[in-house]
Amino acid sequence: MSDERLLCVSEEPEVAVALVRLARSLTGPGTGRVVAVVLPGSAPDAAERLAAAGADEVRPVDGPALTDPHVVADLLAEIVAAVSPSVLLVGSTKRGREAAGHLAGVLDLPATTGVTGLRLDADGIRVDREALSGNAVAVERIVRRPAIVAMMPGFSAPPAAPSPSPGRVRQPPRATAPLTERTELRPKAGGQLEIEKADRIVTIGRGLRKKEDLPIVEALARALGAEVGCTRPLAAEAGWLTDDHWIGLTGHRVHPALYVAVGVSGAVQHLVGMRSSRVVVAINKDPNAPIFAQADYRITGDLYQIVPALTKALGG
Amino acid sequence: MGEKLRIWTAVKHGLDVNLTRADRTTGLVRVESAPRKTSDFDKNAVEEAVRVRERLGGVVTAISVGGPAAREALREAIAIGADEAILVTGDRWAEWDTRAVARLLAAATRKLGGFDLFLLGEGSTDHFAGLVGPRLAGELRCAGIAYARRLTAAAEGVVVEKDLEKEVEVVRAAYPVVVSVGQEINTPRIPTFMANLKASKKEVRVLGPPDLDVPAEALAPVVVVERVAVPEIPRKQQTIAGTTPDEIAARLRDALRGEGVLP
Ligand SMILES: Cc1cc2nc3c(=O)[nH]c(=O)nc-3n(C[C@H](O)[C@H](O)[C@H](O)COP(=O)(O)OP(=O)(O)OC[C@H]3O[C@@H](n4cnc5c(N)ncnc54)[C@H](O)[C@@H]3O)c2cc1C
Ligand SMILES: Nc1ncnc2c1ncn2[C@@H]1O[C@H](COP(=O)(O)O)[C@@H](O)[C@H]1O
Repeated sequence: MSDERLLCVSEEPEVAVALVRLARSLTGPGTGRVVAVVLPGSAPDAAERLAAAGADEVRPVDGPALTDPHVVADLLAEIVAAVSPSVLLVGSTKRGREAAGHLAGVLDLPATTGVTGLRLDADGIRVDREALSGNAVAVERIVRRPAIVAMMPGFSAPPAAPSPSPGRVRQPPRATAPLTERTELRPKAGGQLEIEKADRIVTIGRGLRKKEDLPIVEALARALGAEVGCTRPLAAEAGWLTDDHWIGLTGHRVHPALYVAVGVSGAVQHLVGMRSSRVVVAINKDPNAPIFAQADYRITGDLYQIVPALTKALGG
Repeated sequence: MGEKLRIWTAVKHGLDVNLTRADRTTGLVRVESAPRKTSDFDKNAVEEAVRVRERLGGVVTAISVGGPAAREALREAIAIGADEAILVTGDRWAEWDTRAVARLLAAATRKLGGFDLFLLGEGSTDHFAGLVGPRLAGELRCAGIAYARRLTAAAEGVVVEKDLEKEVEVVRAAYPVVVSVGQEINTPRIPTFMANLKASKKEVRVLGPPDLDVPAEALAPVVVVERVAVPEIPRKQQTIAGTTPDEIAARLRDALRGEGVLP
């Protein structure tokens, strides 16, 4: 517990709430101060939700939606000056990391991203973060405050602890001229799947020879009541599946009860995405595939034989 | 821009994450002795820089901040097609954090006459922070665009397709602009034997913080790595075998039933 001020902001509503809950648990009830920024364009109940999660003060920002990192950084710099927090918590999303870096450059602040755990120690701020492409966990000590800490979406946030009388401070927009201009915003192809919430996943890798063979894997997924995941090459290079299926360092992090990896070699950048699965099955024709070291059940064999047999055994 | 497009690209000689090993008993990674290689996305950044120069003309400067071995990353950048190479180094390079790196890059551009387009990787393979590019833009107070998947450069600026989690954003900016690129933007060319040979003979300009007017205090680490460990997640590692695929399938089904993970 400590008497610190923590400032929270994220463009992702769920992450913003989780940041406030984390901040509240770090200061303790009734001590310190948790301030949450409500970005323009947020849902009408965003401020209430942040207060209910534990914010002592919410700061709704007036004006149009913010995209240019230079403008975002300028606004946050002003809020940091007004609130003087010891930590600015943001989400380690793409926009979050970009804004964090930009602001860190403008104000010359320490910053770190991809954080899964945070402690406010007397000798500094300690974070656990993914390191070595997710292969390892690093403990970092930030020796100067204020610091910017970007929390990995989905980090385990403590329960909400609403503040008894949350305050509200209107934050007028800044007149900063943007340095970039958005000319278009379009949803990505696919994009409906929320694979990070799936309870069972069948992931296919480059062991699949052609796109036309996808139904073999989809049938297994149906029989298991699972979503279909994929490795990077299938989404980014071959384009056989949309990005919302992509699991790993540059894709999604998943934590299902069952993860079946089919024709997946198990590169470190893939493993980081599936490491917290409960039960892992690997099917691969190469007995030395690294994925086997991460598996509970290992089947060495040809996916074109094993997968249909498994689908049948499951009544599919 | 002036008469020639000034294109910079930052290459990191980072840890090879596929070759780093943890101590069996402590789980700790000995970072100091781990093998290094050029960070993956940085090759995409160099490739993109070279493609822009091939279309619009100009000069591609590759810069790396690190120890003597970082010359290898610069050699690779030259082999891909960069025109000149700068190594920023000093006695304490091993403790330079993201902030120090961004400050040195910013100082180098100031000292050496500025840039129009500065290309970096969106994340370094070992650290994967995604901070140096945005920090550099913030420090220089110029336009920054991260997560670039497609870049179209013209005489006065760039149009970039930015890859967000659920959307693609098209963004336009005038020079100078800092753009951080992902692996999807291009496929870096494999240098020819001759290109590699020529690159190994190319002179690298070596600069230290004093040459860039950066005082040592400005580089003192603000984020210190205390330990790096590989988390041990126990797995059953049970092999399921059988004489036919059906037999294997039935055994796996029974095992998964036992685990309680079937619907
Ligand atoms: C910075 C960075 C970020 C990255 N991010 C990601 C990421 O987010 N996600 C990701 O997945 N990757 C990512 N990668 C790529 C990663 O390094 C690997 O290249 C990729 O995961 C390999 O995909 P794969 O397993 O499908 O293919 P491969 O490595 O080619 O493996 C195919 C496997 O299929 C097996 N196989 C072949 N035929 C059969 C058959 N008939 N039956 C059974 N098995 C068969 C082979 O034995 C092999 O093990 C990233 C890389 C970098 C450098
Ligand atoms: N030591 C370095 N020298 C040169 N460029 C670097 C260095 N560290 C990071 N970069 C650049 O910054 C990008 C992002 O790195 P990071 O913020 O560590 O994820 C990398 O892809 C490189 O282009």
